[in-house]
Amino acid sequence: MEHAHAAATAAVHTVTYLRWIVFLPLIGVLFNLFVAPRTGRRGVNLVAPGVILGAFLVALTAFFDLKELAPGSALVDSVYPWITAGELHIDFALRVDALSAVMILIVTGVGFLIHVYSTGYMAHDEDFARFFTYLNLFTASMLLLVLGENLALLFVGWEGVGLCSYLLIGFWYTDPEKAKAGNKAFIVNRIGDAGFLLGMFLLFWTLGEQGIWTLSFSEIQTNIDKLAVMPSVITAICLLLFVGATGKSAQIPLFVWLPDAMAGPTPVSALIHAATMVTAGIYMMARLHFLYTLSPDALSIIAWVGAATAFFAATIGFAQTDIKKVLAYSTVSQLGYMVLGVGVGAYGAGVFHLMTHAFFKALLFLGAGSVIHGMHEEQDIRKMGGLLKRMPITGWTFLIGCVAIAGVPGLSGHYSKDLILEEAYGKSILLYVVGTVGAGMTAFYMFRLFFVTFWKETRASHEMTHHIHESPWTMTLPLVILAGLSIIGGWHFVFPVSQWLEPIFGGHHPHVPAIIQFMPTVMGFLGIALAYMMYGRKANPAEGMEEPLDAWHKGALHKWYIDEMYDAVIVRPMTALADGLWKVIDVKVIDATVNDTAQVTGIFGGALRLWQTGNVQNYAMSFLIGAMAIFGLGYYLW
Amino acid sequence: MILPEVNWAAVMPSVILTVVGITVLCWELWMKEQDRKYLAWLSLAGVAGAALFSYTLWGRNESAFNGMLALDAYALFFNLIICLATGMTVLMSRHYVENNELPAGEYYALLLFAAVGMMLMAAATDLIVIFLGLETMSMAVYVLTGIRRQNVKANEAALKYFLLGAFASGFFLYGVALVYGVTGSVKLGEVATYISTHFSDGAGSPMLLAGMVLLIVGFGFKVAAAPFHAWAPDVYEGAPTTITAFMAVGVKAAAFASFVRVFLLSFGALHGQWEAILWALAVLTMIVGNLTALVQDNIKRMLAYSSIAHAGYLLVAMVAGGELGGAALMYYLVAYGLMNLGAFAIVVAVGKKGEPNEEFNDYAGLGFRYPGLAMMMTIFMLSLTGIPPLVGFTGKFYVFSAAVKAGYIWLAVIGVLNSVVSAYYYIRVVVTMYMQEGEKQVEPLSTRPALATAIVAATVGTIMVGVLPAKPMALARHSFASLQKPAQTASSTPKKDQAATSTPTATAPSKTPHH
Amino acid sequence: MDAITFTVLSVLMVASAIRVVLNRSPVYSALSLVMLMSLLAVYFLYLDAHMVGVLQIIVYAGAVMVLFLFVIMLLNLQDSIQDYRQEKLWTMGILCATLFGELWFFFGRAGGESSAQHAVPEGFGTVISLSQKLFTDYLLPFEITSLLLLVAVVGAVVLAKR
Repeated sequence: MEHAHAAATAAVHTVTYLRWIVFLPLIGVLFNLFVAPRTGRRGVNLVAPGVILGAFLVALTAFFDLKELAPGSALVDSVYPWITAGELHIDFALRVDALSAVMILIVTGVGFLIHVYSTGYMAHDEDFARFFTYLNLFTASMLLLVLGENLALLFVGWEGVGLCSYLLIGFWYTDPEKAKAGNKAFIVNRIGDAGFLLGMFLLFWTLGEQGIWTLSFSEIQTNIDKLAVMPSVITAICLLLFVGATGKSAQIPLFVWLPDAMAGPTPVSALIHAATMVTAGIYMMARLHFLYTLSPDALSIIAWVGAATAFFAATIGFAQTDIKKVLAYSTVSQLGYMVLGVGVGAYGAGVFHLMTHAFFKALLFLGAGSVIHGMHEEQDIRKMGGLLKRMPITGWTFLIGCVAIAGVPGLSGHYSKDLILEEAYGKSILLYVVGTVGAGMTAFYMFRLFFVTFWKETRASHEMTHHIHESPWTMTLPLVILAGLSIIGGWHFVFPVSQWLEPIFGGHHPHVPAIIQFMPTVMGFLGIALAYMMYGRKANPAEGMEEPLDAWHKGALHKWYIDEMYDAVIVRPMTALADGLWKVIDVKVIDATVNDTAQVTGIFGGALRLWQTGNVQNYAMSFLIGAMAIFGLGYYLW
Repeated sequence: MILPEVNWAAVMPSVILTVVGITVLCWELWMKEQDRKYLAWLSLAGVAGAALFSYTLWGRNESAFNGMLALDAYALFFNLIICLATGMTVLMSRHYVENNELPAGEYYALLLFAAVGMMLMAAATDLIVIFLGLETMSMAVYVLTGIRRQNVKANEAALKYFLLGAFASGFFLYGVALVYGVTGSVKLGEVATYISTHFSDGAGSPMLLAGMVLLIVGFGFKVAAAPFHAWAPDVYEGAPTTITAFMAVGVKAAAFASFVRVFLLSFGALHGQWEAILWALAVLTMIVGNLTALVQDNIKRMLAYSSIAHAGYLLVAMVAGGELGGAALMYYLVAYGLMNLGAFAIVVAVGKKGEPNEEFNDYAGLGFRYPGLAMMMTIFMLSLTGIPPLVGFTGKFYVFSAAVKAGYIWLAVIGVLNSVVSAYYYIRVVVTMYMQEGEKQVEPLSTRPALATAIVAATVGTIMVGVLPAKPMALARHSFASLQKPAQTASSTPKKDQAATSTPTATAPSKTPHH
Repeated sequence: MDAITFTVLSVLMVASAIRVVLNRSPVYSALSLVMLMSLLAVYFLYLDAHMVGVLQIIVYAGAVMVLFLFVIMLLNLQDSIQDYRQEKLWTMGILCATLFGELWFFFGRAGGESSAQHAVPEGFGTVISLSQKLFTDYLLPFEITSLLLLVAVVGAVVLAKR
């Protein structure tokens, strides 16, 4: 930080402009809902990205204002008192500190680029206004999630982004598979939300027992020492909140929804299911780092879940042939690295990787979208190939993304991933090994994707080949900008993220042997080399991909049958229980009787008929049994 | 000559509705077929008048009619909820009655009379008056349920409701008798006094406990708490949709108003005895309601089960008790009322005569043909699920945080898990609307102004009350607080009472309560 | 009221109530109801509520029951309700008995609990005292009851008219 301000102490400054970061996208929502039918496509194309740009500029202002202040300071905008219940006061308050400043810049910056891209991508879609309504609403919710000064407000954003994600996954309703995917996303996320809510209530209650009824982050942090005496409760809170994070950030065991979520339009996959929403869980844990730090048990579980997810998702990524599915599993895997970062206490590194990942994964998804757009909705990479010549901007930027994610030195992914792995080494060598092997696997399947899609000659049908074209500038310009960011995003003198976050998380960097530092890079190069030998050298890289698969390959292709397992273990018993309960307790009586009483009309006939069917007796009987049971309970209590 | 003590202010909203109801009934006899719509507007005006009058009475805290009726903020708050439910129902009914060729005069009159019964229940501080209010309300609703005479489902529903309602009334009266037997009074204040003097240890007596249990059964039936809920799905499905909405919101609100008043006011000292029973009821109600709603294919039936589940959440608030729990319950009733009325209004809009369109499949593709309607239905469903920042979330937040604060952690946990389960069936509606193609192209009536007004009003309420919950919650707290400080009886402050009512009242001969 | 009278009256009442439910012929059911009402009137008389007792006989046992019988005759209802489900009846009976037993148990624990006893005041149960009470203290319930009856009448008309 600037030395001139070193003397100043960290403080909270009240401002009133932060609300516009959230309100501007909301204005966009209202515009798209009510005004868009009159202005048509042109108005939407102008306003929808425009409001996000506005929010970005406000975010920049906040960022520079914050930079002027002493390290550890924050800007707070209290809009109005929201919920009051007894001693509990929850304000609608927004807070920008170093952490949320990074986040809002990512959300609005990358969000703006993706909005611009979408104007090109959705150029032929009838329903563009609805699309941008959701997209703007998503951005508003995400910004609220990041800016919210308390857990309740964070939860508002949390549910909002989930909802928009769900609506956007099912955006093209015509395909029942897609609707199912949307539904799955929603329900899996609700399971996570249950954990989140329970954790929130437990935290609320435990603090309340100490006389502090609050959900505000700053107040929880101030009173954290009151909780420190109850390590097991803290662990429970941390793990419950982590269940929420596994839902939103697609970790084992709740990651199943994210690959299915690729059914949505590709810009959505880029914005929601790669760059921003899925990082909400990581943000939440970083936000509550003071809590997580108190529970080493919870942290080590989190670290292992993260490492396992990073590794496991990478194995599935090996076998996928759908361009978006590969990217989806790679997202799950990369999120695993971020969670691993949080789990080893390297919150700064986790957030750093979050940022670089937002750049290169948004780039990769948008590149994939450009490919799909150019190939007329084809997503199977076996039918692509040779696209580098036909779509040069898309191809080269995609290559930059692949290099970045593979961890090649000089590009952003290298710095952030290595930082996490070095911190992991400080905790456990085993975590480091799993992560490093995963890094090699990442490089392998990403370059497998690249070679099969862009290398050599095209395998598309002749007619199709004819139509392949580079995308319009609205789509390629964001690609170029994101490619630039993917390169420089890790450079310390451009984005000193770790240092910037130090006042929040505290800074320490483990000293690791040189070999440990180099291993991930080596693994990355090995992966690339292997991919080249297997796919890049062949005249037809897709050759052999369709051959009968061995068991291992088959398992990976079918995602290790996780979905089937969930269906058998959770979904079916649940449905059976509900069905049984319904049949036993509440037989659908009306239907049964109506069938019997086709000719009988009039109340008197109905009355007599009813006596005979015995249904009212059944109800009265359940009534009596209930009363008896209550009497029994009352007697027992007395 | 002994003149009765009449506090007109306390009964004025009820009197307004009664008079308007009778006017509606009589006017219909003279009016032409095409003028029937004025009946709806007249009823609406009556409801508005009653609501307005209730509003002007705000701040009064008196006991009227010999301690039988309270004029306190609590009663007035519920008056407003009841007026909301009735007014919205009238708006929904405007075209529904016409399309289904229902007898308009009787329909609106009975609706208003039912509202009178509800208001009396909410204000009553005497078990006999509560019972009479309950019966007035129930009788009108039984008839309204079966008002589609040609419909077999409706006839069955009405009869079932009537028979089981009578059964429940038996339990209720037995409970009243036992309470009277122990305490020698049916006035809530006197019962409370007796209990606090005779059972100061909170142990109570077996007979009193039996009385309380019987009252719980009676109220449990009316609020559709498990295991006394079996009637609800059949009746909700069979009744005209407008009346289903009215029942789901109005009847439940009135029953809870009385339930809370009786148990927190009279039996407050015996909290330890009944809270465990209500705890069990709350858990059972939430679980049964939510799980059975999962497998329904009819939207009305699904909403019926969902309303059972919501009764469970309300019971959670009641168990939590205290000012927070009570206020949370009242806030939740407002929330529940807004979103449920909205959802039912949309069911009304989608239905037609002879073609109710109540199955999930009938909603397929609605999101594309009628985006506005589907959007509002989505908002209601999300709110019922408890998605912030809609009113359903704020309501659940208040309820569960009250439970947590009162130390009922497990109850809150079970509630949270239940609301997670509920997401599944509410979202199914949204999925059907936006992500499935319908076989038949349902054409809603939503362009009709009255119905559209109701739906939009419910939408605005669902959003606004959720985003800005502070004011309604403050009102609810204030109202609930008025319940906890016993009202002044009229006879102890005759001057104030007379001055305030400006009616020639003579106080009845000394009937001073024991305290 | 002494214990013997009370017991005899109660047994008779419960018996006639059961007859009302179990009789296969509607006419017999109605006649059992008349008996039930009359016995109820005896209760009131014993409790010094002469006026109510007499009204009970005139209104219920007299007017209402005549109307019932009239309707039954008019519609020529035969022994139409025959198809009892014996096992269901038994279940119901057992449930009711259990509930009764539970209550009994409760009251047994109560022992000789002194419930609030009230002495009967002078002039209790006469027409004058009754009407005075009705129009002063109980004015509100009285008025609500009239509304309740109005609702019932409207309801009956709505459901019956074709």
